[in-house]
Amino acid sequence: MISFLRRFSGLVGMLAVIAFFAINLPDTFLTLRNWLNIAQQVSMLTVIAATMTVVMVMGDFDLSVGSMASLAGVVAATLFVQDWSIASALAAAIMVGLAGGLFNGFIVSVLGILPFVATLATLTIFSGLAFFISDGRTVFGRDIPDAFGDFARQGPEIGMIGERALILPNLVIVAFVVVFVIWVVLEQTSFGRRLYAIGGNREASKLAGIKVVRLRLIAFAFTGVGAALAGLMYASRVASANPTQGDGLMLTAIAAVFLGMTLTRDGQPRVLATLAGVITLGVLDNGLTQMRVDSYVREILVGAIILAAVGFSAVGRGSLMRGPN
Amino acid sequence: MTKLLVQDVSRRYGAVQALDRVSLTIEAGRVHALMGENGAGKSTLIRLLAGLEAPDKGFLSIDGARLHDTNAQMMRQAGLRFIHQELHAVQGLSVAENMHLDHPYPTRLGLVHWGKLNQNAAQALGRLGLSHLDPRAPMSALGLGDQMLVRIAATLIRSDGAAPWLYVMDEPTAALTVQETDRLFAVIDGLVAQGAGILYVSHRMPEVMQLADQVSVLRDGRHVSTRALADTDERTIIEEMTGRPVSDLFPTKQAIDPQAPHVLTVDGLKAGPVKEARFSLRAGEVLGVAGLAGSGRGGLLRALIGDTPVEAGSARLHNKELGTSAADGWANGVAYVPRERRAQGLMLRRSITENITLPHLSALSRAGAFLDRGRHRRLVDRLNKHVGIKATSMHQSCHELSGGNQQKVLFARALAGDVQLLLLDEPTRGVDVGAKADLYGLIQQMSDTGLAVIIASSDLPELLGLAHRIAIMRDSTLAEIVDADGLTEADLLARFYHVDDGKAAA
Repeated sequence: MISFLRRFSGLVGMLAVIAFFAINLPDTFLTLRNWLNIAQQVSMLTVIAATMTVVMVMGDFDLSVGSMASLAGVVAATLFVQDWSIASALAAAIMVGLAGGLFNGFIVSVLGILPFVATLATLTIFSGLAFFISDGRTVFGRDIPDAFGDFARQGPEIGMIGERALILPNLVIVAFVVVFVIWVVLEQTSFGRRLYAIGGNREASKLAGIKVVRLRLIAFAFTGVGAALAGLMYASRVASANPTQGDGLMLTAIAAVFLGMTLTRDGQPRVLATLAGVITLGVLDNGLTQMRVDSYVREILVGAIILAAVGFSAVGRGSLMRGPN
Repeated sequence: MTKLLVQDVSRRYGAVQALDRVSLTIEAGRVHALMGENGAGKSTLIRLLAGLEAPDKGFLSIDGARLHDTNAQMMRQAGLRFIHQELHAVQGLSVAENMHLDHPYPTRLGLVHWGKLNQNAAQALGRLGLSHLDPRAPMSALGLGDQMLVRIAATLIRSDGAAPWLYVMDEPTAALTVQETDRLFAVIDGLVAQGAGILYVSHRMPEVMQLADQVSVLRDGRHVSTRALADTDERTIIEEMTGRPVSDLFPTKQAIDPQAPHVLTVDGLKAGPVKEARFSLRAGEVLGVAGLAGSGRGGLLRALIGDTPVEAGSARLHNKELGTSAADGWANGVAYVPRERRAQGLMLRRSITENITLPHLSALSRAGAFLDRGRHRRLVDRLNKHVGIKATSMHQSCHELSGGNQQKVLFARALAGDVQLLLLDEPTRGVDVGAKADLYGLIQQMSDTGLAVIIASSDLPELLGLAHRIAIMRDSTLAEIVDADGLTEADLLARFYHVDDGKAAA
């Protein structure tokens, strides 16, 4: 019974949060429209957190994802201003994400700088680049092509409520595809299992014939691309780009991965658990906003809930943040 | 002489009777060896002595005074000290500070009196003949062996309570080199000469034969025997530990087929810590690699798996150059069991299956990339029939396994692919006798199927018992290769130190 509680306490906590809001917001919370709304709100976070999971299974971090998201948005918007086509501007922004990710991977894996330090430095570099390219201004209005801004607002219809059509937002579909791809890569391919092996014991993996340097490089590249994609989604959603709009995503993404780790049996990061962590944070944000909780108080509450969840799990397992042994 | 009496002590954990009416007398001034396989109850007994657990039945007494409600503080006050294989040294602090971790720092006007601190440390080190160690040096500058000696010396720093008179040493040499072990033994002799008693827990028979005055054997939580060393021998002890007669620890060596093809040819190899090595190996041959610690024993294996870049010369397996990374090594049919199974071998928190399949993920995948879990399960089940890992299931996490079973996981990993050459670094370190015999049997079976095997080991009886030929490493160079037939440990040691009496290398 105790072990059952320990194992599923995270899930129970999630359901308790949902039940709490369902009781306090009986008319609005448990509606399809609200959940689609939550799904759209968390879609950028989902993409960043899912790709963050890829480096975290190796025991690494990427702190630069937020500023990479900003940078990618700014790059695309700047190219729009210079009359690039939407497709080529987006491709260029994704390439910037790939290049940034490879650079992170190079300094972490080849040069051997601690990921925390290395990506803290690139966080600053990417952020500076975003300011430099945009000259610190927000690109918006007529500079952003309509088709790009509309993408986030549109999506296939899935039903009617009264007179209004209910649509599944495109951003949610993108997030779903990203999660699925990462789930396949991490859980169903030998590539993914090698990343988990590196997280289990890097030295042993190397001696067992795993190409540790190359795999870490690729994993960081993955995360860079994910961050750029999330930045573009964000820019589409607000139909504008400025050099700080992605900044908040990094800490929340790491929090989501940690929340997810409290749900898995062995305390390892798993992408579906990360998704559950993202949804928990999204639900909290949505519910507390609807209950008109002050936004500052909301932050305090969300922080306390993350701490409680991770802390409870750490007590149950001895330590969540343990090393390779 | 002070005496510690363990009287009819029992301790049960859930369904497991860890100790069952065990009685022992441990006296000051002598070395008392405590032996037994994993699960025999040694660790439980040590925990009782340390005051970390209380007995369910029975009691402890010192010089006739019965100890009630023991706790760690009380056992310390009573003069017991514990030395474990895993040190808890603070690498960034100085030797002297490490020695004061559980003593108050000497102070002057409320501030640390550094002069006195270093002086206390130097005095304690001096009493054990360790004056060559500088109390001001950072702990990280010392080898593992010296760090352990520092820990022992730290117990001599006077603080309140009785002076320590009994040292409980739990597998102290597990991570030490031969020279470090020798220095530890010198310190043990010094402690005993100064009147202290030692309870020495070890799997290593030669150490026990060298050190002990008395030997007690536990099996399945029961006390089997306590004898003076003169009244027992290795064979008796092993039989008492395992509870079955051992015909022989080592399987009978099969002669090498002189027609067998050469599998491995190493020519003028220079790589990492190895300056020069030249030899060749036939299919089915077992080559031992011996030498002092630091002589490049393990380095030779690391070079052959491909983990250290080749600077000159060549190593060819079936006329194919061995690669430049461990990944190439495994892909070419080389399998490697590293020296440190926890640090270098296993993903401790992962399942047995994950650990075994790790180097073979590509070969086991579908379409070159996708996992085929059924294939993993079948492979692991088949291998386990062969190596016999004792576990609840193949999903069990490796940190829950005993050392012997962890080693079997690494053996299974090594056998999973299409192996031509098997490299074993200290294959039976810290493994109990029963598991040792199993591992030796496995090595024998593998060489019978035509694998070439190289074993680097500090355990000389093991090399003599298993290998056809023994390569001697001196100063990072493979100095000579000798036939193992008729060779003795003394012969080997003489060759380590190069006190050659003119016998030509074979």
